[in-house]
Amino acid sequence: MSTETLVIALRIAGLMMVGLVAANFVAAKRWRYRASLADCEVMVRQVFYVHCAYIIAIIGGLGVLCLGWPQLLLADGMGRVLSGFFGVFWASRVIVQLGYYDKETRRQNRGWDLFFLGVFAAMSAIFTLTAIYG
Amino acid sequence: MKELLQIGLWLGGGSLVALCIASFWIPKVLGWREKVAVLTPLMRELWWTYSIYIWSSHVFFAVLALGFGDWLLSRTGAAAAMSTFMLLWWSVRLWLQFFGYDLSEVEGSKANRLAKHLLTLLFVSLVVLFGSLVAWNAGWIPTGAMP
Repeated sequence: MSTETLVIALRIAGLMMVGLVAANFVAAKRWRYRASLADCEVMVRQVFYVHCAYIIAIIGGLGVLCLGWPQLLLADGMGRVLSGFFGVFWASRVIVQLGYYDKETRRQNRGWDLFFLGVFAAMSAIFTLTAIYG
Repeated sequence: MKELLQIGLWLGGGSLVALCIASFWIPKVLGWREKVAVLTPLMRELWWTYSIYIWSSHVFFAVLALGFGDWLLSRTGAAAAMSTFMLLWWSVRLWLQFFGYDLSEVEGSKANRLAKHLLTLLFVSLVVLFGSLVAWNAGWIPTGAMP
């Protein structure tokens, strides 16, 4: 696989991740995070928001890297290690969605369920291919 | 200086391994399972999923520090970017330790107080370590080699 193809694929992955960052804010409203967390203990609420923010930071940071400097992921062995990590990261997200998330909620939102499964699978494939051919 | 940073990476990586191992006890000590039981299934699933991804990130940082120290000290753009990301990561965590988390609900036992102080020490150390790495990779710290 050529470097040019991988750069284009990484930029597409970058766009997907920018979309995912935006989707996180939409999800917070749609699933009523604030109301859902209102009755639980302060620590649970704080840990949820902190972890959510860190996840958004990871995805956003990687998205910016892929959009602006995709060649850094192709530059040396470390770029491949990083790509391999994110290949596993997104593959595990597919597994989480298929095997862990509530089936009834997924069934009620089948369109979005399939859409996000496709996005996660595509990103896993892009980063895995970058790790292999980068 | 490079040797000092290399030692720092070993110590930092070892501390992260300790943090990752200790993290297995956090849900039990803080009673997470009971506390998240009141959430809806979706929120509970998100809660655990996020926690596991954060833990995985810490594992990855430990692998980087212990296995790829030479790369992190390579003074390349990628090494500077990764060091900056980890500096931001731990700086925010340190800020949260002092000003973000409300720990009033956590039992003030001797063990919990000790754990809190150890965590604070760890976060301060990681901020210093990755701050030094950013300075090193940016070329702000001389190599120490004879001209």
